Amino acid sequence: MPPVVDSELCIVCGKCVEICPLDVMKKKDDRIIVMYPDECWHCRACVMDCPKEAIRMRYPLSHMLLHYDAPRA
Amino acid sequence: MEIRMNPDPIVVDFLVIGGGISGLQAGITAAEAGLDTLILEKADTRRSGNGCGGNDHFMCYLPEYHGDDFEAVMREAKETLVGGNQDDNLFRFMLERSADLIRKWESYGIRMRPTGDWNFEGHAMPGRRRYHLKYDGSDQKARLTAAAKKAGAKIMNKVVVNEILVNGEGRFVGAIGIGIRDEVPEMLVFQAKAGLIAVGEAMRMYPGNNPAYMFNTSHCPANAGSGAAMALRAGARLVNLDLPSRHAGPKYFTRSGKGTWIGALTDINGKLVGPFVDDIHVSRELPDPTGDVWKDCFVKNMDSGKGPVYMNCTGISEEDLAHMRKALVSEGCTSINEYLDQYGIDLRKSMIEFGQYEHMFYMNGIDIDDRAMSTVPGLYASGQSVGNVRGDITAAAVFGDHAASCAAAYVQTVPDFDVAALGDAISEKAALYNFLLREEPGAHWKEANSTLQKIMDEYVGTRIRSGSLLTAGRKYIRDLRKYSREKLRAENAHELMRCLEVLDLLDLAEACAVSALDRKETRGAYHRRSDFPFTNPLLNNKFQTVRRKGDDLETEFRERVR
Repeated sequence: MPPVVDSELCIVCGKCVEICPLDVMKKKDDRIIVMYPDECWHCRACVMDCPKEAIRMRYPLSHMLLHYDAPRA
Repeated sequence: MEIRMNPDPIVVDFLVIGGGISGLQAGITAAEAGLDTLILEKADTRRSGNGCGGNDHFMCYLPEYHGDDFEAVMREAKETLVGGNQDDNLFRFMLERSADLIRKWESYGIRMRPTGDWNFEGHAMPGRRRYHLKYDGSDQKARLTAAAKKAGAKIMNKVVVNEILVNGEGRFVGAIGIGIRDEVPEMLVFQAKAGLIAVGEAMRMYPGNNPAYMFNTSHCPANAGSGAAMALRAGARLVNLDLPSRHAGPKYFTRSGKGTWIGALTDINGKLVGPFVDDIHVSRELPDPTGDVWKDCFVKNMDSGKGPVYMNCTGISEEDLAHMRKALVSEGCTSINEYLDQYGIDLRKSMIEFGQYEHMFYMNGIDIDDRAMSTVPGLYASGQSVGNVRGDITAAAVFGDHAASCAAAYVQTVPDFDVAALGDAISEKAALYNFLLREEPGAHWKEANSTLQKIMDEYVGTRIRSGSLLTAGRKYIRDLRKYSREKLRAENAHELMRCLEVLDLLDLAEACAVSALDRKETRGAYHRRSDFPFTNPLLNNKFQTVRRKGDDLETEFRERVR
């Protein structure tokens, strides 16, 4: 579930629902639901635009950034 | 569930389909020219598409920086990473107009000189002038949206456009859209004298890095080739679908922005992969351009066992590292920055593996003329759905602006056409939407999308192609489209959008297979025909075009415009 909404901080203003480029978030029963988590592009629009900083991004293991220690010069 | 029908068409002068950089620029210019302009966007113009988080390179010709010898500039600029298969007249026009667009963008409040002066960085070659202006596009979509509204353009968000309407003469007269704001979708009909397709390319056509995450794509996965597919169905000619191109970037976390990284490409032992820099101690002035020049170095090194290939930033200065991290924000890659921090990956110690991303129809799409008009009168195209000019942000801005100016003149020459006369075409679409929204069980869109990716990879692939593979592939695509039309089902507005995207991808996929089948030679790194393993000089500067002919497709080579 890539965007994680903190329901304590969220005021259900719906900004994230409006601006998500992938239509991933929905407002239901006075809550924000991450309805289509596997369609998240991880663009962080919701994180950046949330007026209450109530959303954080969890990066799925499928998006592992492959890295390797550089040899010592 | 049944789609809600909005009975009255929405009538404007100029309909802009897609609220990205190109569509917003077109909206601004058209509204300033006095056109009643409506921009339709399937997400929200403040944060949609490829430019959602930002961009940081605006290719341009600034006389005060590049000098007055424009012909020399043309020669050099064509040898940068964006200079490939395109019509020279359009590329020339883009460069000529680029400085004007930069001034316009500054007037909208976009930071084109974030360091205070004109700064050119990235995608640079040793000893050559640089053409990629480094700007800060992190708020570009919000700024362009504000400018469009200020100019008087109207914006409708959460509207997916699914069909272009043409009249009996084959002229653009409107479009069919679907409002997806609510769970129950709403069908909307638009009437206009001129229209612009300014949507993105075709992501999700080929498999990504991880089959379980179809939306892990370098560019925005909302872009599903709908612009080119709608244009094809409306009778427009597409071009260059036969010649794939592939981007590269961090492996597994698929994200464009290769030119923003400051580092050298090395192997696991820290040995340079390309010949362009002396060692890993590169700077923002000249990062290693190997990935721009040798685009398939990632695949080649993996296939030969010499891989992996790493973006090695361990030799750059602290200042350049901080500068790069900031530039990743300008480029919209804040998630890469955040991932590095969350996982404690230190770029001063760790190298990041880079890999090749799949083909995404970046320079493969609608064939436009010097007015940015497609072969359908009144239907313009700009941005990533165009197939014969490339310049990324610059092309999007310049041709959005140009299409709007040309449309302002065009609308004076055509009479109104009442789209109510196209009732049959509109009813046919309504029937399709209602069929997809039916109650009985059916296929989920992902079944079709993932199978299409598999077919494209194996039969219309970028590693090897042949007459037999492409012929079989085309047949399988047609079968999948038939089954999809019979079986797909959408639970709500969101899924209806995805189902229609898959049907668009299928139309474009077939056009791609046919185009590749009829280019009987090997050309470039990714159109490699085992049955024609040579490059035919007679096909140099010949662009493959494709258009609909009844239920079939017709290909024809045309000369590249000089």
